Amino acid sequence: MTTTRMQPGTTPAAVPKPRIKRRRPWKGRLLLNVILSLGAFTMIIPFLWMIATSLKSPAELAQFPPTLLPQVWQWSNYSEALQAAPFHLYFRNSFLISAGHTIITLVLGSMAGYALARIPFRGREWVFMGFVAMLMIPTYTKIVPQFLLVKFMPLFGGNDIFGQGGTGWLNTWWALIIPGGLSATAIFLFRQFYLSLPRELEEAARLDGLNEFRIYAQIYTPLIKPALATVALLTFQESWNNFLWPLLVTTRDDLRVIQVGLAVFQQLDSTSWHYLMAGTTLATVPMVVLFLFCQKYFIQGFTHAGIK
Amino acid sequence: MSASTRPAPTTRLLRPARALPSAPRRPDRSRSQRKLSRAGWLMVTPAVAHIGLWTALPVLATFALSLTDYNIFDAPRWIGIDNYIQIWNDPTFRLATWNTVVYTFWTVPVSMAIAMVIAVALNQNLWLRTWYRTAFFLPQVTATVAIAMVWLWIYNPQQGLLNAALSVIGIPGQAWLANPDWSLWAVILVGAWQGIGIKMLIYIAALQNVDNSLYEAASVDGASVVRKFFAITLPMLKPATFFVLVISIIGAFQVFDQIYVLTDGGPANATTMMTYEVYRSAFQNFQMGLASAQSVCLFAFLLVMTLISRRATRGDDE
Repeated sequence: MTTTRMQPGTTPAAVPKPRIKRRRPWKGRLLLNVILSLGAFTMIIPFLWMIATSLKSPAELAQFPPTLLPQVWQWSNYSEALQAAPFHLYFRNSFLISAGHTIITLVLGSMAGYALARIPFRGREWVFMGFVAMLMIPTYTKIVPQFLLVKFMPLFGGNDIFGQGGTGWLNTWWALIIPGGLSATAIFLFRQFYLSLPRELEEAARLDGLNEFRIYAQIYTPLIKPALATVALLTFQESWNNFLWPLLVTTRDDLRVIQVGLAVFQQLDSTSWHYLMAGTTLATVPMVVLFLFCQKYFIQGFTHAGIK
Repeated sequence: MSASTRPAPTTRLLRPARALPSAPRRPDRSRSQRKLSRAGWLMVTPAVAHIGLWTALPVLATFALSLTDYNIFDAPRWIGIDNYIQIWNDPTFRLATWNTVVYTFWTVPVSMAIAMVIAVALNQNLWLRTWYRTAFFLPQVTATVAIAMVWLWIYNPQQGLLNAALSVIGIPGQAWLANPDWSLWAVILVGAWQGIGIKMLIYIAALQNVDNSLYEAASVDGASVVRKFFAITLPMLKPATFFVLVISIIGAFQVFDQIYVLTDGGPANATTMMTYEVYRSAFQNFQMGLASAQSVCLFAFLLVMTLISRRATRGDDE
């Protein structure tokens, strides 16, 4: 590409001419890199501090000014933190709930998104407009009735058919997994992805006599695998990080998710910072690792969805 | 969100299907049309049921409950707009509204400005570019609760990193979160820090659509870097800026997790927010009616923002 622009008489060193033109002088580039490095470092200081703290001994934590790196790397803090609070249980609960939400979203969300995008059924516009209206509903405008629905869920947790007398879905896996299982945003994203595919495929498939469900499952869905990954990661991340809902519907220790577990641990024991930071590291590491390995999908998803 | 404003494709797709019955093979077509309709409804029904039960119904119920006095244990009692009158006269909720506005006013523009500068810097061929982007985006993917926990430790008056760093340059430390003069600022700093990532990402996406020849032309004319930023980049980023502004305001109005962890709304309600008052009314005082009315107020604020955003995004579609 660069050679096409080569002018007669230029020295070989000047061959990639357009690049040289756009390139800043090295001093400018160095300055830019220094500033960006400092900024990036500032952004990750809290993470580094979290890890450093999680590896210090209580005696070292009591020092002021604090040491930057642990004098002795106390890896045992992690196993001791698990004794102080069942973080492994919280971790497992968070994982199960996030996986549950992701599976429900992928199955129900993609099915609805496909129908809205590709099947011209009667009333489709109304359904779609309904979902669009639901996109804008903030958490706090539905949280009180959602809680009441869970509490008065008929025939569960000792409730009678009118939802009276018991605790309903409170302190159950149902409450943790079902209400947050699907969002209008996911349906919307799926619809957009299915809309971007060519129409000829469905026409050909219908002529071949495939039923609509098979067209969805075998023809179109395999084509949007990157979109599935994007929505899956966003869903998983959101439910892993969710705090308010599990806080409201669970009080039993064995149902706690890791975010709530951290908050409760901090309230019960506000001095064991090394354990708390070990727990916090456990709560953040999965998302950081997931993000580092699947950056492309995360970035695509966040740019599409806009809102966290 | 941006896409939510484009119902146009549906109608475009629907039209051929509706036109089809006029084709010669009419009976056959309408039978397959019925089949399609059935398949469509089958596939969309689970989602409709879920969203209907867990989103649509609760929203309607919030409005209905906001007109009642309801403590979960006794049946709801209709009291008209008394809850709204109470909110209007409640100094705590007024303070919470003010705090929410202050929090939004500082976190949103500050992190937007930083995010824009970083996005512009990252929009060129830099070595380590991906790593910088990762670092700036990291706080966004990690849980707010976990992050707030780390900041709680950083703000710790005795052994915290912040006081230690300040003592190096000779500034006396503070009990940042326990001091009503500082606590809101401490919360704002966390919010601004966490919010940079997503804004940066939207700006980077927007910058990729800016035509490079504009910059080349400006270079030929001898424009400086600063001049190019103000004359080209800033105007070209205007739609993105508006979009970022609105979604950030919507996000900032719903701040909750870091308040819960860092200050619990205190000291002396200095950091309580609208969302926090909803939480307190509903789940600490069991005043479900009052909490619903408070969340309707929050919703009203957000609705105005969303309507503005819809107009804005429709603007750049055209």
